[in-house]
Amino acid sequence: MRFFFLLFTFILLLNNISPALAQGTATVSGFVRSADTNEALAGATVAVPTLNIGTFTDAKGFYSFNLPKGNHTIQASYIGFESGSKDITVTGDKLTLNFTLETNSSQLQEVVVEANTLQQKLNDTRMSVERLSTVEAKLLPALFGEVDLVKTLQLKPGVQSGGEGASGLYVRGGGPDQNLVMLDDAVVYNASHLFGFFSVFNPDAVKSVELYKGGFPAQYGGRLSSVLEVDMNKGNYDSLSATGGIGLISSRLTFEGPIVKDKASFLISGRRTYFDIFTRQLNRINEGNKDYNPIPDYYFYDLNTKIYYKLGEKDELSLTGYYGRDFFGFNDSNFSFGFDWGNSIGSLVWSHKFSNRFFASTSLTSTGYRYNVTNSISDFTFKLTSSIQDFTLKTDFDLLLSKGHNLKFGALATKHAFTIGQFNFDAGDNQDMSFNSGNNYKATEFGAYVSDDFRVNPLLSVNYGLRLSAFDSGDKTYTALEPRAAAKYSLSQTMSLKASYASMMQYIHLVSSSGASLPTDVWYPSTSYVKPQRSQQVAAGVSKLFANGKLLFTNEVYYKWMKRQIDFRDGANLFVNDSLENEFLFGEGESYGNEIYLEKIKGRTTGWLGYTLSWSYRQFDEINDGRRFPTRYDRRHDISLVVLHQLSKRISLTGAFVYGTGNAYSLPVARFAFQDVEGRNTSVIPIYSDRNSFRLAAYHRLDLGLVLKLRPKHGEADLTFNLYNTYNRRNPYFVYFSQIESEADDLTLGFEAKQVSLFPSIPSITYNFKF
Amino acid sequence: MKLSTLLYLCSLLLMVSCDMDKTIDIDLPPHTPQLVVECYLEQGKPFRATVLETSSYFDAPTPPLVPDAEVHISYNGQRVKLQYNPTFNEKQSKGFTHSSNKIMRGQPGDVYSIEVTDGKGRKVTGYTTVLPKVPIDSVKWQFNENDKALLLTYFKDNPNTANYYRYMTHRDSVRNGSNREFTLTDNLNNGKQIVIGSNYNYESGDTVVVSLFHLEKKYYDFLRSADDAEDANGNPFAQPSRVISTVEGGIGVFTNLVYDRRTVIIAR
Repeated sequence: MRFFFLLFTFILLLNNISPALAQGTATVSGFVRSADTNEALAGATVAVPTLNIGTFTDAKGFYSFNLPKGNHTIQASYIGFESGSKDITVTGDKLTLNFTLETNSSQLQEVVVEANTLQQKLNDTRMSVERLSTVEAKLLPALFGEVDLVKTLQLKPGVQSGGEGASGLYVRGGGPDQNLVMLDDAVVYNASHLFGFFSVFNPDAVKSVELYKGGFPAQYGGRLSSVLEVDMNKGNYDSLSATGGIGLISSRLTFEGPIVKDKASFLISGRRTYFDIFTRQLNRINEGNKDYNPIPDYYFYDLNTKIYYKLGEKDELSLTGYYGRDFFGFNDSNFSFGFDWGNSIGSLVWSHKFSNRFFASTSLTSTGYRYNVTNSISDFTFKLTSSIQDFTLKTDFDLLLSKGHNLKFGALATKHAFTIGQFNFDAGDNQDMSFNSGNNYKATEFGAYVSDDFRVNPLLSVNYGLRLSAFDSGDKTYTALEPRAAAKYSLSQTMSLKASYASMMQYIHLVSSSGASLPTDVWYPSTSYVKPQRSQQVAAGVSKLFANGKLLFTNEVYYKWMKRQIDFRDGANLFVNDSLENEFLFGEGESYGNEIYLEKIKGRTTGWLGYTLSWSYRQFDEINDGRRFPTRYDRRHDISLVVLHQLSKRISLTGAFVYGTGNAYSLPVARFAFQDVEGRNTSVIPIYSDRNSFRLAAYHRLDLGLVLKLRPKHGEADLTFNLYNTYNRRNPYFVYFSQIESEADDLTLGFEAKQVSLFPSIPSITYNFKF
Repeated sequence: MKLSTLLYLCSLLLMVSCDMDKTIDIDLPPHTPQLVVECYLEQGKPFRATVLETSSYFDAPTPPLVPDAEVHISYNGQRVKLQYNPTFNEKQSKGFTHSSNKIMRGQPGDVYSIEVTDGKGRKVTGYTTVLPKVPIDSVKWQFNENDKALLLTYFKDNPNTANYYRYMTHRDSVRNGSNREFTLTDNLNNGKQIVIGSNYNYESGDTVVVSLFHLEKKYYDFLRSADDAEDANGNPFAQPSRVISTVEGGIGVFTNLVYDRRTVIIAR
């Protein structure tokens, strides 16, 4: 807190000496949109390169900043689009200037952005932000050819995956439950399909993702380690079009078009896997074969919809919907087992422009996650359900003041409803033996914030803010102040220093003993016993432009403290337990590291090189005899190299290489024989020592991709070839100890360690089309 | 089956990986062996115990006997020494290292204690309180259209105590080893009649032995934790857990076995 107040005092002092710098300025504001679809482009750069002044558009494509009066050239650029440039003469106090950017004709060119994007990144007060568009992600090689923006983010420094093929994000030593994932303002509680191997975001429905690893702006709260904003496509309100892809595992189809030309558009996008179609055929062929074990059904699907309506020059309305389900089932004549899980999300956003200086966005969202396990045998039925359901009302204001201040303020209120481990045993005719268990909780979460993005002088800009958060669980109310601050100082036109501080609170917690993202993980509220988690993070960095602005080098160091971290007792029963709180353990965490990032986004060859050196620890009095232990995803070295090369107008080549220190892992060091009461099957019981004291072998992999643009009679099409794990590296997924048994008499001859890998070299091909 | 295990099996079934195992070398830190005790007192049966040591995981699979271990069981002011006399019953595939001719005749509420010492100065202690038997009310079965039957075992839980159970079934005879067993608590249905069901695994004419053990909490914890530790070896979704012993100073279990047992012949 002392740090924040010192910074706040410093800023006030600066505020008093700065008015002279703001004399004779005007406010320039407007929207940046796609010329093709008229869709707002969030995160587009709008800048006056000669003055080194500029900003990014917000989620609605709106920008606003102050300019000295006079003649200027303003440029707008956005990844995958041609840059737009306008010469203006500023005479009055305000000026509205909208940009419509044309899509680049060649696909690879779509990722080529003008160098001033790097310049603007250098000049931005924000730090620790990673942005990725679907256009980029679609070029990069992917497992089974399934493009996944979240997994592509794992190639950025400071972002790690939980394991082979997993889509969970571990950001700067935080757990996968500490990420605030939002789809068009609505929280997504479980962002993965298939036990974490795919994210829930259909690439055809998503425009871009933006990940904050630190330096969180004050408008974000509720999670400790990251904010992932997923921006959905709005739909083309100029003409009707269809986009789709046919892959090895799934197919997807998207329709978009105008409802009212130039005013209202729609988008509907669906995706479904088809493992189950093959496995059912296989089961049918083997019907009657006693040696054959039928393969259970598995599939997932998701459906995205969006309706956008431009009410007038000042008002926009958008309605977003998402519904996705995974389903795993097995039936035979004796029993019926079903396991399904998924999110359902709805979001209504109204954007209003009061003036060129004052902009507001209000949203009403509903989001829910639920899993159901059912098992029926004869008259008996077991059902286990857990869920979380939220309703949120949120409003954000953006006010551009004179003297270089850009004020943001807003508030939100969320009603949470939790169903935790609702177990129902229905004994059919024997109703006296039926029983239920589980808990229901209701809670309300509040947040209010104010922040100021202040350009102190051409060299120094600061962003400081304060968030007030509160959580009422019925039996206990928590409140907290979460100060945020960031500063940027330009040492020269090509070099800047940045620093940030963020304090974050997390009031809801994921009950998960696995360390992986599983569908059975449930969210649990803070109560009088389970106190909210808290983190503080400081980061500092330097950015330097090289090679005439073609290369941007960034180095950031960070340190993060985490209080009241949650784990569970050994052998905790997390599923059917009316006293779940008794299984919780509370401890502390810390993580720190250095991230180096070199990126090139102009020319025929683009890409990036990232290197992260990091440490991540937890300490619980009741785990590991109270000694600090590394987290499973504590990764000392992490390297990623991504290269995209345009070979010709029709062919682009891509490659991604990753290397990471092996995950920390617990292994037994000793064993004992347990005969049990009967003695017939003596068990070997492992004895574990220190938590996560072993390391799996290093993980490394090279993926290659080729995108070949076809020349169909109508529309566009391409074939994407991928080779995952090119040199067939057997990366470790986990290690276990097994017995070496004599083939003759099953006698145990000894013990050995086995390493299991998941994915060998996997080629894939995907056909994508648009018409 | 635990949910984490179920999830693991689900994902393995879905993975296209094949033969992706390989043997690797792992250096384990030096291990100091601990005493491991297994001793079950059973009404009408002599005192018998097994005392072994823990082994470093990759040690040779020979039984780590502790010949100089001394075992004493005390109850009602008596202290009985069990003699070191390793025996192995081939039929049951079960061995003991220490035994006595003393027959256990405990009543509910009686407390027995064990003390194991050896030449290295190691000492393991523990105690057990004899629990009352929980009777099986009835064993029933239901046939489906495929002439397969499921088994239903009914018993009444005592509402005044927290109770822990172990349920076992054997085909034909208990000498054959159980074909199904699991532990349970009464925390969700305290004081109610409890039914334990099975899948349609039986046919007309099958002989089934049903056993219901009434466990001490610490024995239940031991069984669960041993199961968890075993499950964690080879399941990437499981969190490694330590074995919770019923004894102090070493690893293992000292408890008494109280159970009700019914033998039924499945018939239409």
